[in-house]
Amino acid sequence: MEKRNNWKAWLYLAPVLILMAVFTFYPLINTFVVSFIKDYNSSYGFNAQIGTSNRYVNTGFTFNNYGVVLGITPRNPSTGILDKTFLSFTGPSALGNTFLITFVTVPISVIIALVISIAINSIKVLKKFFQTVFFMPYVTNVIAVGMVFSIIFSRTGVFNTLFKLDVNWVNEGATYWRSMLILFVYIIWNALPYKILIFLSGLQNIDKQYYDAAKIDSASPVKVATKITIPLLSPQILYITITSFISAFKEYNSIIGLFNRNYTHDGNLPDLYTVVYYIYDKLNASSQTEYASAAAVVLFVIILFMTLIQMKISKKRVHY
Amino acid sequence: MKIKIVGLTKKFPGDPKKGIKDTVAVDSLNLDINDGELVGLLGPSGCGKSTTLYMVSGLKDPTDGQIYFDDEDVTFLAPEKRGIGLVFQNYALYPHMTVYKNISFPLTSLKLKENKKSFKAERARRLIEILSNPEEIADVITAVEKDNKIKKNDAVFALCSHYHISKLLAEQIYSYKLHISSDPKKDATKYVSAALIDVEEEKRELVQQHLILADNNDILKEDGTPIEVTRKLTKDEIDALVRDAARLVQIEQYLDRKPAELSGGQQQRVAIARALVKKPRVLLLDEPLSNLDARLRIQTREEIRKIQQKTNITTIFVTHDQEEAMSICDKILVMKDGKAMQEGNPQEVYRNPSNLFVAKFLGTPPINVFNGYIKDGGLYIGNERISDVNSSLDDKNVYVAIRPEGFIIDNKNGVFSLDCKEIVTMGRDLSLICSSPFLVSGKIKIIIDSDLKPEIGKIKFSIRPTKLYVFDGETEERITI
Repeated sequence: MEKRNNWKAWLYLAPVLILMAVFTFYPLINTFVVSFIKDYNSSYGFNAQIGTSNRYVNTGFTFNNYGVVLGITPRNPSTGILDKTFLSFTGPSALGNTFLITFVTVPISVIIALVISIAINSIKVLKKFFQTVFFMPYVTNVIAVGMVFSIIFSRTGVFNTLFKLDVNWVNEGATYWRSMLILFVYIIWNALPYKILIFLSGLQNIDKQYYDAAKIDSASPVKVATKITIPLLSPQILYITITSFISAFKEYNSIIGLFNRNYTHDGNLPDLYTVVYYIYDKLNASSQTEYASAAAVVLFVIILFMTLIQMKISKKRVHY
Repeated sequence: MKIKIVGLTKKFPGDPKKGIKDTVAVDSLNLDINDGELVGLLGPSGCGKSTTLYMVSGLKDPTDGQIYFDDEDVTFLAPEKRGIGLVFQNYALYPHMTVYKNISFPLTSLKLKENKKSFKAERARRLIEILSNPEEIADVITAVEKDNKIKKNDAVFALCSHYHISKLLAEQIYSYKLHISSDPKKDATKYVSAALIDVEEEKRELVQQHLILADNNDILKEDGTPIEVTRKLTKDEIDALVRDAARLVQIEQYLDRKPAELSGGQQQRVAIARALVKKPRVLLLDEPLSNLDARLRIQTREEIRKIQQKTNITTIFVTHDQEEAMSICDKILVMKDGKAMQEGNPQEVYRNPSNLFVAKFLGTPPINVFNGYIKDGGLYIGNERISDVNSSLDDKNVYVAIRPEGFIIDNKNGVFSLDCKEIVTMGRDLSLICSSPFLVSGKIKIIIDSDLKPEIGKIKFSIRPTKLYVFDGETEERITI
């Protein structure tokens, strides 16, 4: 019986499997392959000669793509200049910015979302209203809101007018840290609604009797939150933390929305790069697919590693 | 502690717009509970018994009426200030905490007001006291010997429970190894003198702060007056209390487990331990046995009774199971639709139900109710005169209720004939299932001795007068015949 019906199951799964094979699995594997190819050019096969010149492309296996991306080997051996836009220990870089964004915005937004959702859950009147209010940003467009933010924080924008300031927050020429600060605010604001939604649904699943029991035991509100609510919400907290770590590592939209450029002062130093922004630029602006691939693989390894660490920690801290 | 409930009422407001009427869950209920009594609130689901319990606990506010603990009006006192322990129907054990943490949770928020005392001196003096009898210590430890081995954990547990001390102190005593010492007396003396030095040291330190250490370990001011402080319990105190509570309900060996790793009965005991650990004035149990299987239910209810009698704590017990309430309660209150139907000693209520509802509610199998009438000083079902009645009673329609055990097979002089359809053997007893056109609802169940050999068909019965009740046809109130 089971065997006879098997092909049917595969048939039903086929559309998804085919689409995923074409648009997910193949690109995944190909990215990995491309990241190791020397002088990659997507238009040609292996060891192809371009035109009548002597330039060969796709000439074989190399680690150099990673070397170039990580700023270890120069792109052009004759000049010996190292590219530090992806990784740099002395100034802003794509990877540095990404780590900064991740480790600043994720913990802060998780904590704020937790506080807000516990607060919403404990009020009785206007609960639905606040639930809607806090969910609003989720249905807005990231790029559009980014543009609104950039207007609010522009030189003559609402923020400066309101606090009688004359500070350049986000326009060209603003300092790196000011730009980053507004970026953090924007990302956190943008990240809240989904987290609040998940936390609220988790909170509503917690048996009210635990709170009755705690009330009889005269536990303080802080104690109830830390000893009962948060542990019982830990599966949702873990889920949110992992997914927001992953999406923070892929941050890109917000920078386009807020700045629509990759530099603060002028075009020489792309100090507003994130990893994904870097990958896009390498793909589109400069057609350096092999470097984009190498950077993507690096990002993949980092995310994998971070997620494994979180899963390991969660074994001790999460109560299902 | 005594509990007095006066005119307690709980209304859940309806919505006049949608035409939903107010629901009266509890309707001017009165109840007096004596110190140390176990009272059962008994009734079908929706009768307001749990609501009453939650109002006593303070988790629900009454619409009207008062609740007194002794002479104190606690009607609107916050639940945490009432000094109650509550066992929820589904226990509400915190799933992420171990049993130990669950039981200790109420204690961690507990604040007590007392004279300042020296924990160091208290501990040292307790140690000295215990060490004064080294043979006893050795006996306690060697008692846990299994296969010629003494496990440290077992020994520490034994010490904890024998001396009512914390695990820390027990471990210290175990580490003295008095049970394998060649001269326990000498060793003990050595440790006693060390402890004495601790006490002296503490005294000296206090003197430097111009304080005095009293013999009961209180810290006194120089003029001898005690210093009053509000403090939380120390870890040692919590530990000792948790172990005491766990011992009372026999779950000491499960302290490190999570609730999900326990059986229903064990979880139930953890819930009781958690309710009892802070020594509440009143224990409230909300259908505590409903999640257990039949056998465990009987066992657990007896344990609850035992624990209640041991601690002598005033207890209110909510249940829909009449057998449960009858078997362990000092007093039961039968409720229906928020109103008290009858109150009293369980056996008394069973023997003398004051109305048809109570008669029907108590007893398994349930009482058999027939449509009957009173005419010319006689009680009739159909054409059969069942019994004489007080001749002053008016002629009217009545309900005649007869307990299953109230029938005696008497084919010669029987007054009541029934058509027996089925005979069910239940070991000790026989159960006859009969039919009668006058039965109000259901089937007639009759329980007789299994030695008798009745046959299917028409059987005549005589009726035990003490098992026969007559209720008014309209008010359903009891009529004395």
